[in-house]
Amino acid sequence: MNAIILSAILGVIMMFSGIWVNNKATLRWIALAGLLVLLISNIAEMYGYRIWNVNVHNMLYFDRFGLLFNSVAIGSTFIFVALSGSDINRVGKYAAEYYTLIFFVLTGITIISVYTSLLMLFLGIEIMSIPLYILTGSDKRNLKSNEASLKYFLMGAFSTGLMLMGITLIYGATGSFSIEVLNNPAIAQGVSFLEITGMLFLLVSMAFKVSAAPFHFWTPDVYDGAPGVFTSFMATVVKAAAFIAFVKLFDARMSYSSAVVDWKMLLCILIIATLLIGNITAVFQQSVKRMLAYSSIAQAGFMLFAVFSMNEMAKEGIIFYAVSYSLATIGVFAVLLKMKDFTFEGYNGLAKSQPVLAFANTVFLLSLAGIPLTAGFFAKYFMLASVIQTGHYLWMVIVAVLFAAVSVYYYFRVIQAMYFKTGEGETENIHPGFKTGLIILTVIIILLGVAPNLIINFLYF
Amino acid sequence: MNTIPLTHILFVSTALFFIGMYGLFTRRNIITMLMSIELILNSVNINFIAFNKYLHPANLDGVFFTIFIIAIAAAEAAVAIAIIINLYRNHKSIDIEDAAEMKY
Amino acid sequence: MNLIYLVPLFPLLGFLINGLFRKSLSKSLIGIIGSGAILASFIVSIILFNDVRTNGSMIVSYFNLLDIEAFKIPFAFQIDQLSVIFLLIITGIGFLIHVYSTAYMNDETNEHFGRYFSYLNLFVFSMLLLVMGANYVIMFIGWEGVGLCSYLLIGFWFKNNTYNYAAKKAFVMNRIGDLGFLLAVFWILAKLGTVNYGEVFASTVKFSASDITGITLLLFVGACGKSAQIPLYTWLPDAMAGPTPVSALIHAATMVTAGIYMIARSNVLYTMAPFTQTVVAIIGLATALFAATIALKQNDIKKVLAYSTVSQLGYMFLGLGAGAYTGAVFHVMTHAFFKALLFLGAGSVIHAMHHEQDIRNMGGLKKHLPITHISFLLACLAISGVPPFSGFFSKDEILAAAYLKNPIFYYLGAIGALMTAFYMFRLYALTFLGKFRGTEEQHHHLHESPSAMTIPLIVLAILSVVGGFIGIPEIFAPDAHMLEKFLHPIFAQSDSIKELHHLDRSTEWMMMGGVSVLIIVVIIIAWRKYSRTEQFVASHGIARTLENKWYVDELYDNVIVRPVTGLGSVLKNVVEKAGIDGAVNGVGRFVHYSSRQLRLLQSGQVGNYILFMVLSIVVLFLVFWNQPQIAHFLEKIF
Repeated sequence: MNAIILSAILGVIMMFSGIWVNNKATLRWIALAGLLVLLISNIAEMYGYRIWNVNVHNMLYFDRFGLLFNSVAIGSTFIFVALSGSDINRVGKYAAEYYTLIFFVLTGITIISVYTSLLMLFLGIEIMSIPLYILTGSDKRNLKSNEASLKYFLMGAFSTGLMLMGITLIYGATGSFSIEVLNNPAIAQGVSFLEITGMLFLLVSMAFKVSAAPFHFWTPDVYDGAPGVFTSFMATVVKAAAFIAFVKLFDARMSYSSAVVDWKMLLCILIIATLLIGNITAVFQQSVKRMLAYSSIAQAGFMLFAVFSMNEMAKEGIIFYAVSYSLATIGVFAVLLKMKDFTFEGYNGLAKSQPVLAFANTVFLLSLAGIPLTAGFFAKYFMLASVIQTGHYLWMVIVAVLFAAVSVYYYFRVIQAMYFKTGEGETENIHPGFKTGLIILTVIIILLGVAPNLIINFLYF
Repeated sequence: MNTIPLTHILFVSTALFFIGMYGLFTRRNIITMLMSIELILNSVNINFIAFNKYLHPANLDGVFFTIFIIAIAAAEAAVAIAIIINLYRNHKSIDIEDAAEMKY
Repeated sequence: MNLIYLVPLFPLLGFLINGLFRKSLSKSLIGIIGSGAILASFIVSIILFNDVRTNGSMIVSYFNLLDIEAFKIPFAFQIDQLSVIFLLIITGIGFLIHVYSTAYMNDETNEHFGRYFSYLNLFVFSMLLLVMGANYVIMFIGWEGVGLCSYLLIGFWFKNNTYNYAAKKAFVMNRIGDLGFLLAVFWILAKLGTVNYGEVFASTVKFSASDITGITLLLFVGACGKSAQIPLYTWLPDAMAGPTPVSALIHAATMVTAGIYMIARSNVLYTMAPFTQTVVAIIGLATALFAATIALKQNDIKKVLAYSTVSQLGYMFLGLGAGAYTGAVFHVMTHAFFKALLFLGAGSVIHAMHHEQDIRNMGGLKKHLPITHISFLLACLAISGVPPFSGFFSKDEILAAAYLKNPIFYYLGAIGALMTAFYMFRLYALTFLGKFRGTEEQHHHLHESPSAMTIPLIVLAILSVVGGFIGIPEIFAPDAHMLEKFLHPIFAQSDSIKELHHLDRSTEWMMMGGVSVLIIVVIIIAWRKYSRTEQFVASHGIARTLENKWYVDELYDNVIVRPVTGLGSVLKNVVEKAGIDGAVNGVGRFVHYSSRQLRLLQSGQVGNYILFMVLSIVVLFLVFWNQPQIAHFLEKIF
C-alpha cells in the first residue's frame, strides 16, 4: 500500500515542483529523491511497516512476490532516471511533467503486482497505460512520435476492450472478480465454458500488453517512434510489470482449469509465434532502435516460458529475467540515446572514439543474447530449466535455443560495427558520471552472471 | 422488466462489441475509430449490468465495475483527443492512412 | 613417502620459472634453476631409492582425475623398484645433460636459452610422470607430454624449415603409436573397469586369450611409435635436427626407453601372451639388424648414433620378447650411460668443429680433444660389448635369453652385435684417428670443450665402465646379479606364470667367449681400415642403398603421405566448400530471406494490425475448441 499511495503523491509533488523549480537538473534530483523514498517505503513494507492502513476488501494482497517485484521495478526506474535523466530533460520543455507521468506509471505498476481482483487489474493496467500514451507522444514536433502514440492508444484501447469483455464473461460465470481460486464460491460447480472464453480474452489482452505475437504489432512502431528515453522505460519496467501481472493471473486459474483446456498448447502457439516473428524480423532491420524493439518481442517470447511452466522455478526465473533484462536494456538504450545516428552504420568505430561506451554496450548486448558470464545467460537458463521441469513440450526448448542463436546475429552486428568497422561513431556530449553509471551497470550484470545466487537467495516466496 | 431473457441483452451487447471491432479496423477517420472504441467499452458496460441484474442480483459488483469503466473511458477519451489534436497539427489530416510512416 | 610429489614438482617449477621469466633472467641463473631443479629431483630420487630398498613399493594417491559411476581414475604415483630405477636414470643423466647444455647452448640469446631449459625441464617432468604413474592413464599423460616436448625441442631452432618438418614427423609418428596405446587402455578399462597397475595385474583372469593378445599387441604398437621400432622408426634419425644434448637426453637415454618401461611394467600381460612376445622379439631383432646395416654407411656423426640407438632399442625389445625383462631394463640402464656419453661426446666434437657434423671432414681429433677422445673410446668399447664394460653384461644377458627362445635369434643377434662394433669403431676411427681432413680454419679453432661439458663426459664414462657390475651373471659369481634381485618383486608374477630357463654353464661360456672374441676381431679390422682412410669415394650398389637408408622414407612418402594429402585437398575443396559451407551459409541466407519477407507483415496501417489480432483470436478460439483433436493429431505425427 505504501508504494501505491506514495507514488501517486510523489507524482503530484513532481507536478507542482515543475511550477516552482525551473532548473531541469534539479527536477531530476527531486525525481531521484522521490524514487529513493518510494524504494525505501516499499522495502519497509516487505518487512511489515505500513504507513497507511487501508481496508482493501481482499482486492489487493501484498505478498512477497509482488512486493519484491515492486522493489525491482522501482530500482530499475531509479537506475533509468539516474542514467538517462539528462535525456528526459532533452525531450521537451516541460520536464517536470514527464517525471510526473513516470511516477503515475509506477503507481499502475505497483497496483498490478499485488492485485487479487480483476477490477484492480483493470485499473492498474489503465493507470499504467494512459500516461504511457502521453509519454510516447511527448516529442510533439516529431511526426513519428505522434504516429506512435496514436497507434499505441488505438491498439491499447482495443486490448482494454478485450480485457473487459473477458472480465465480464468471468463475472457472468463465477459472480466475483477475485482471481483467487480458494475464495471463489463458484468452484464447486466446475469450470464453465463461459469462464474459459473469458479467460481466453483475458489471455489475449495480456498477450497484447507483453507484446507476444500475434498481438505484437504495436511494439515496433511504438518503440521506434517514441522518444528513446521512454522506449527504454517502456521496454523494460512496463513490460516486466505486465509479465508479473500475467503470471499472477494465470497462477491460480490455470491449474484448476487445465482439466478442461490445455493452456499449454495455446501458450505454445504464442511462444513459437513470438520467437519466430521477433527474431526473424529483427535480422533485417537497419535501425538499431527498431531492431531493439523486435528484440524485446523476442525476449518477451522467452519470458512467456514462465507463464507456460508456472512452477517455482518459473516464478524465480521471471523476476530474475526481469532484473537482468531490464538492466541490460536500460543500458543499451542509454548508449543508443547518446548516438547521433540510430542506424547500424552510426555505431561504426565506436570502440575507438568511446571505448568505455563500446565495452559497456558489448556487455549489455552479450547479456541480451544470453552469453555465459552475464546475467542474461542465467535468466535464459532459468526459463528453459522451468520448461524442462514440467516435462511436457520439451521440443520447445530446442526451438528456443535455435532462435536464441538467431538473435546472436543481430546483437553481434552492433558489436561488430563498434569494434571491427571503421567510422566516426559520433555521440552527443557525455558526462563522466554517465560513464561511471554504465560501468556500475556492467559490473552488476557480470556479477549476476557469475553469482546469480545474490538475487536468487532473495527470491523465496 | 425481468421478462426480457438474458440472451437478448447479451445478443445486443455482443453485436455492439463486434460492430465496434469492425469499425476499428475498417474506418479511416480517426475520430470514427475513437467512436468505435467507445462503442466497445459501452457494450461491455451493458454486459456487466445484465449479468449483475440477472445472474448475481445479491451484490452490486457489476454496477461498481461499470462506473469505473465509465470514468476510465472518459479519461481515455480525453487523452485520445489530445493525441489526435497533436497529430492534426503536424499532419493536417485525420486520416489514419496518412499516419502510416513507420512500417516494416 | 610424502616426498614423492617433490620429484616431479621441481622440474615443473623449473619449467614455469624459466618459461615465464626467460626474458628477464640471466643465462647463468636460468642454467642454475634448470639444472638445480633436476639435481633436487635426483636427490629425492636417491632417498626414495633407499626407501624402496628397505620398505618395498608404495602407492600415493592424490585426487581423482575421473570419478564417475562406472570407474574411477586416480591421480596416483607408484614408486616401486622398477620406477625408482628409471627415476634415478632420468634425473641423474638428466642433470648431467642440463649441466652440459649450459655450455653447449651458450651461443643462444637469453630468451632462447630460457626457452630451451624450460622445455627440457618440462620434458623431465613429463617423463617422471610417465614412470611414476600408478595407472595407465597417468602414464599416458606423461607419454603425451614427452611426445610434445620432443616436438618442441626437435624444432627448437624453428627458423629452419627442415627442422620443423622433422619435428612434425616425429610428432605424427608418435601419434600413430599413441592410437594403439589408447585403444589398449580403453580395452583394459572396458574389460576390467580399472587401469591401476595393481588391480589390472591381479585380475588378469578376466581376460580371454584373445583379449590379452590384442591388448599387448596394441600396447606394443604404442611402444613402436615411441621407441622407434619398425615401421615407425624413421623419425628418430631426422630428430637429430635438434640440439645435441636434446638428442642425448630424449632420443637416447629416456624418451625412447618409455616403450621398454611400459612393456616391462606390463610384463604380466606379455608373459601371458606368447604370440605377442614372439612378435616383439622378431620386430626388435629385425629393427636391430636393419638399423645396424644403415649405420654402416652414414656419414653424419649424429645420424650414425641415431641409427645405433634404433638398433640398440631393437635389442631391448628382443630381450623383452624373449622374456628377459631384467635384461632389457639392464640394457636400458647401460645404454643410457654410454649412448648419452656418445651423444655428448659428439656434441663436444661438433662444438669444437664449429657445427660441422660430417665425419668425412674430421680425423685426428684425439690430439686436440683428449678428454672427449678417451670418453668416446670407452663408450665405443662399452656399446660394442667388450668385457668388462657395462654393455657386455647387458647385451650378453639379452643374447642368452634370445638363444633360449630360438637359437636363430641368437645368431642374428650376434651378427648385429658384430655390425655394432664395426660401425661404432668406424665412427671412432674416422673422427679421432688418422689425419685431419677438414679446412684450415676449422683446424685453427679446434680446442677441448669447457669443463661444464667435459665433467659430465667423465662421469658418464666412469658409469659406462663400471655400470655393468650390478648385473654380474651367475656364471661369474653366484648370486651377484644385484639388479635382478632388486627387480625381483616386479617380475615375480611373470616368473610364476612362466619359468625362466637358464642355459647350462658350458653353452653360456662358449657363447660369451665366442662373441667377445669375434667382436674384438671386428674392432681391430675397423680400427685399422678407417684410421688410414684419406679419401672417400661415392658409393654405389648395396652401399648406396644403405647410405640412402633403404629408401624407406621415400616409400612412406609415396605410399602414405601423398594419398592422405590428396584426400585432404579433395575434402577441402569439394566437401567443405560445396557441402558444409554451402549448408551453413545457406541457413544464414535463408534466415535473411525469410526476414525480408516476414517484415512485410508490419504494414504500418493500424487497421491491418487490429485485423490480424482479431484473426488470431479466432484461430486461438478454434484451437481451444478443437483441442483434443489437435492433440491427437500431433501425437500421431510425432
